[in-house]
Amino acid sequence: MSSSFLDRQNTVAGPGFDRFMVPPAALAVHLCIGQAYAFSTFNLPLTKLIGLTQSAAGDWNLKDVGWIFSIAIVFLGSSAAVFGRWVERVGPRMSMFVAALCFAGGFLVSAIGIHLHQLWIIYLGYGVLGGCGLGIGYISPVSTLIKWFPDRPGMATGMAIMGFGGGALIAAPLSVILMKHFSTATSNGVLETFVTMGVIYFMFMMIGVISVRVPAEGWKPAGWVPDAHPMKLVTAANVAVDVAWRTPQFWLLWGVLCMNVTAGIGVLGQASPMIQEMFSGKVTAAAAAGFVGLISLFNMIGRFIWASTSDYIGRRNTYMVFFLLGILLYSLVPTFGHMGSTPLFVAAFCVILSMYGGGFATIPAYLRDIFGTLQVGAIHGRLLTAWSVAGVLGPVLVNYIRQYQIDNGVPKAQAYSVTMYIMCGLLLIGFLCNLAMSEVKAKYFYQAGAAAGSKV
Amino acid sequence: MKARLVLLWLAVGFPLLWGTYKTLENALKLFQ
Repeated sequence: MSSSFLDRQNTVAGPGFDRFMVPPAALAVHLCIGQAYAFSTFNLPLTKLIGLTQSAAGDWNLKDVGWIFSIAIVFLGSSAAVFGRWVERVGPRMSMFVAALCFAGGFLVSAIGIHLHQLWIIYLGYGVLGGCGLGIGYISPVSTLIKWFPDRPGMATGMAIMGFGGGALIAAPLSVILMKHFSTATSNGVLETFVTMGVIYFMFMMIGVISVRVPAEGWKPAGWVPDAHPMKLVTAANVAVDVAWRTPQFWLLWGVLCMNVTAGIGVLGQASPMIQEMFSGKVTAAAAAGFVGLISLFNMIGRFIWASTSDYIGRRNTYMVFFLLGILLYSLVPTFGHMGSTPLFVAAFCVILSMYGGGFATIPAYLRDIFGTLQVGAIHGRLLTAWSVAGVLGPVLVNYIRQYQIDNGVPKAQAYSVTMYIMCGLLLIGFLCNLAMSEVKAKYFYQAGAAAGSKV
Repeated sequence: MKARLVLLWLAVGFPLLWGTYKTLENALKLFQ
């Protein structure tokens, strides 16, 4: 594959190109990197590499193995922020290719770590290298999709980011099947599974690399004319990335994303023990696993449905729904627990997790509305640092407050009530950030050669 | 172009549907 094939100028679509080729190209990347959400499938097997059926002397412990995922998420956010401008410059094909190399390479380096039984190599492999693949891969198709679908940016980015949620639904059963297939008397199959998944994911991401195209300069969908009276908060101007992150609007959106993610991610990580403890004796471990699967499904579906809806009701209104409905549902969850109503509890969390996914999927279109299309991918990359912060904040809040409650004699079934009310508080902060959102001042708009916008 | 479009959507749609099916299969345990 020559380097010219990857260059932006060779990805410009010719006349007659069907723009609906681009969402599956983006999905091919997001369905792969979404595997990260299912990494916990490997946690226990990684603690039994020597003992095979149970942990033996010399095996890694769960706490240390848990760091692999955390490092990957930190590098997701940081690489998206650092490489955002590069992604904008080189275009989607090159960035998807690099993402595939990093992500698949992360699996292969980790396989070496498993072979040598060196955990630090896995931290470097899946955590650092794979994490960079996650970050670059996540933002690589975003601005391209927004440019192809100026009439439906929410639907287009929602479709791609839905893939990130869907990736976990594929990876979880696939990992289990592969580990079972490769399991022998001397190996629990994790090493072979890592190598196989690395190869499969690289090949699958190549579908996206080959298929993706950028629209020609000035291209517009046939018959589409920009709305003469666009919705409130939708700009026709552009703001460069280095200017955008100095505006209050960027930080308000950062707060909106961070609060929405914090409220969802803590619950997502603690869903299985939470439902078992709140409905002690009524919900088995197998049923709890079913609950985790169900909310993961709603996390995926919500990405497409909410982001598409935002094209009609507006981005700010969509987040208003997330925050107000979220506050209502979180405040009702303890009551559903006291009532012993599993169906109401499950239904509430299905809606909450759909809005968690919807928050991720709607943010690129919100950024486009506020900062224009010029460097929306790079701005999105910087905003994803909110995800890294929420990835630490959410689980810490849920886990530590639960433990504090239990240590102070609160029954396990009621130990989550305070957490739910704290989630309401976080959502209220997000609501206020969203309420304060306004249009960017004209002094920040990008003008080629002028001082306000930085170089592109 | 149309055939490529259909193939591309099938390539991403099939694994996604398979993952959704396996998840729903697992989720049914919640209601049993």
